Amino acid sequence: MDFMKTMTIAASGLKAQAGRMRIISENIANADSVATSPGADPYRRKIATFNTELDRSLDARVVSLGRVANDKSDFRTKYEPGNPSADADGNVKYPNVNSLVEMTDMREAQRSYEANINVISATRRMIQRTIDILKA
Amino acid sequence: MAITDVPILSMLRTKMNWAQERQKVLAQNVANADTPNYRGRDLVAPKFQDSVAVATQPVGQVVLAATEPGHISGSLGGNSTYGTTKGGYEVRPTGNSVSLEDEMMKVASNQMEYQAATALYTRSLGLIKVALGKR
Repeated sequence: MDFMKTMTIAASGLKAQAGRMRIISENIANADSVATSPGADPYRRKIATFNTELDRSLDARVVSLGRVANDKSDFRTKYEPGNPSADADGNVKYPNVNSLVEMTDMREAQRSYEANINVISATRRMIQRTIDILKA
Repeated sequence: MAITDVPILSMLRTKMNWAQERQKVLAQNVANADTPNYRGRDLVAPKFQDSVAVATQPVGQVVLAATEPGHISGSLGGNSTYGTTKGGYEVRPTGNSVSLEDEMMKVASNQMEYQAATALYTRSLGLIKVALGKR
């Protein structure tokens, strides 16, 4: 039944967006994680990527969470000589996480998630309508 | 005479079939709303002439009408009996052309059309019941 396929496709969207949320939360949680040894690199921001792939059993293009890429941009540096992670010059490298960007990303993920939920509930109502034919 | 031979029922079934397929395509669009280089698509609406022709043959053998020489059945495979159109003239920098607002509107209208079809189906079945004298 096609409606079940619709549900599965929307569920793949839900899954991908949930995975994206996981990565965003990882970034936000580690926004201030500095290195454990002096002068070493701190936490590097991760980026979720999406792949569209043809699901042969569904005969449809579902979405899946692709490779998790690292953000190559520069780290923030702060002059904190007292910090145990500071290098010889007293600079501490902070992760390249911008919480504003993460928040925006999170909103987008949330919106896409809701859209998928919307599709599922619309499909459910359609299935219910079909079943209602029996009751008439 | 089987119940599928009643023209109105078979027409409505075509409509419901189409709405099902369309729901699938729309779900694909929404699921891939953040995938780079994904182009949104939509299903071509069934034409009245087609449904008249379809009424005499079982659903599932709907023939795709090619109104333009370049028309292809899309990548939905042999299962799909309707053509798809590449939608989206507004492409984001990531190469994605899905607008969630548009898709939500389409999902809602698809649902309404389906409801109309099922309601009509119920009424038509009611007609048969009246003929049977069950009411």
